[in-house]
Amino acid sequence: MGKVSMDVDFAGIHLKNPINTAAGTFGQGWQFSNFIDVSRLGAITTKGCAAEPWPGNPKPRMAEVPGGMMNSVGLQNPGVRAFAEESGPYLADLTDKGTAVICQVAGHSVEEYVAALELFDELCPWAAAFEINVSCPNIACGGAAMGSTPEGAAEVMRACRPVTKKPLLVKMAPVRLPEIARALEAEGADGLTVINSIPGMAIDVRTRRSKISRPTGGLSGPLLHPIAVRMVWEVCQAVDIPVCGVGGVMTGEDAAEFILAGATSVAVGMASFVDPAASVRILEELEAWAESQGVKSITELIGAFEC
Amino acid sequence: MPTPSPARVHEFEVVLNEPIADGVYALVLHAPALAAALKPGQFVNIAVPGNAMSLLRIPLSYASADADAGTVEIWYAVVGEGTERLSQMKPGDTSDLLGPGGHGWTVPEDCQRALLVAGGIGVPPVLCLARELAARGVAFDVCLGAASGSCMVGVEDFEALGAGEVRVCTDDGSAGYHGFCTDPAAELLASGSYGYVVTCGPEPMMAKVANASAEAGVYCEASLERMMSCGFGACSTCAVETTSGMKGACMCGPVFDAKEVVW
Repeated sequence: MGKVSMDVDFAGIHLKNPINTAAGTFGQGWQFSNFIDVSRLGAITTKGCAAEPWPGNPKPRMAEVPGGMMNSVGLQNPGVRAFAEESGPYLADLTDKGTAVICQVAGHSVEEYVAALELFDELCPWAAAFEINVSCPNIACGGAAMGSTPEGAAEVMRACRPVTKKPLLVKMAPVRLPEIARALEAEGADGLTVINSIPGMAIDVRTRRSKISRPTGGLSGPLLHPIAVRMVWEVCQAVDIPVCGVGGVMTGEDAAEFILAGATSVAVGMASFVDPAASVRILEELEAWAESQGVKSITELIGAFEC
Repeated sequence: MPTPSPARVHEFEVVLNEPIADGVYALVLHAPALAAALKPGQFVNIAVPGNAMSLLRIPLSYASADADAGTVEIWYAVVGEGTERLSQMKPGDTSDLLGPGGHGWTVPEDCQRALLVAGGIGVPPVLCLARELAARGVAFDVCLGAASGSCMVGVEDFEALGAGEVRVCTDDGSAGYHGFCTDPAAELLASGSYGYVVTCGPEPMMAKVANASAEAGVYCEASLERMMSCGFGACSTCAVETTSGMKGACMCGPVFDAKEVVW
């Protein structure tokens, strides 16, 4: 171990390894500080935050399904000011230890995305990059409602681009990926996070009601991993900007699939709920795999899928 | 930085796992560090083996912890695939859990007498508190509700701990008072002798107890249940609506000041 360089350049950020965390599955990082040394990770992505606090959706917000889970959290967040005040010192320290902190930006409209990003840029000087979430399936407007067409996604990106000099990533909905990816690249996106949870339904047949508080929710977990790998591969063929692969990564092998499909970084999501030490374990497994492939650097394996 | 959950990963071995009433099991786990750390009202989040398609843990409260023996006793109702699988675990089987989760009961310093109201499988965290009250020399009365006498648990345990009164209530009248335990609870509250009320059970029951306590001017705490993915503050799925916004049951609860809860 330790012979393979795990360093990658992702959207203008140096990452000491490709392992990142999916927004909304890793809190603000400090929630995991009793379980793992969070600073071993290449990056973390913090839970989406808007300019003003959002209450999120009513209960129940989660139902387990075979091979995964469905959520309807609805981007509950305390607003950027409270986020920066509460978690800023921890995240600044994490940055000093060499883990890139990517802050996810939420909004219901173009104006709200811009307002949130302005606050992030001002109040979170330690942030390495910002990830715009145009793909949350659980809010009535904004989120996936805007990010599911090339025009809608591009409009958000166009408005956000002048707000910050830092790299801008976009968390993508699992629809029309190549064309939306190209539209985002054209508007100056530095990287893409592929994919957000997939809209699903789970019905309690006894009560005939949804198992969560809304008819549909966001499906995540290993059940959708092969779909996410395919989508990452399609996006990597469509654009030149780097991609972070997200979707049901439970093991180093799952992460390796994303790397081979073309992803430069890989985010761990639901696995962290099951095993709070999953991200570090997956990093070690990914490193062992890279070494077994006989390369000097994991970058040699990015997009090395052979068909 | 804000305070993370006190939970850690604990390996455990099953010592005992047997039915104690209709659809209710007692599970005794050997997990010494956990047994020493748990406080009444906290919970654990258990990885139950046996179904590769089911990934999330099962959050459960506990009924008692024995730091000397290094064991924790959990009473659970078999209500779905996950708890059915848990009921299949045998002595000697091993797995792991996350705990202790959240924060438990806060007994007011000046409390002389407490009223405990528990319904269904809400009994364990209340029984756990009764043990602490007994140790502190705080008197207590208990109102217990269940669908039927056959699924009622805890009556002898509360009596053995020195409860002043144990009022048993059943929905079908098969044991004790025929009706909800909120009725005797309201009656006892009216006596005016309580400095603390605690409740755990179905939410409509807890709401009634919370309202009656507020009317009587007595501090009341309720232990709430939510579907949760992680149990340590990372997933935002276990939100409880409170007068000061949504709060996670895993970090801000599961025990809440009842007048903060929007019932």
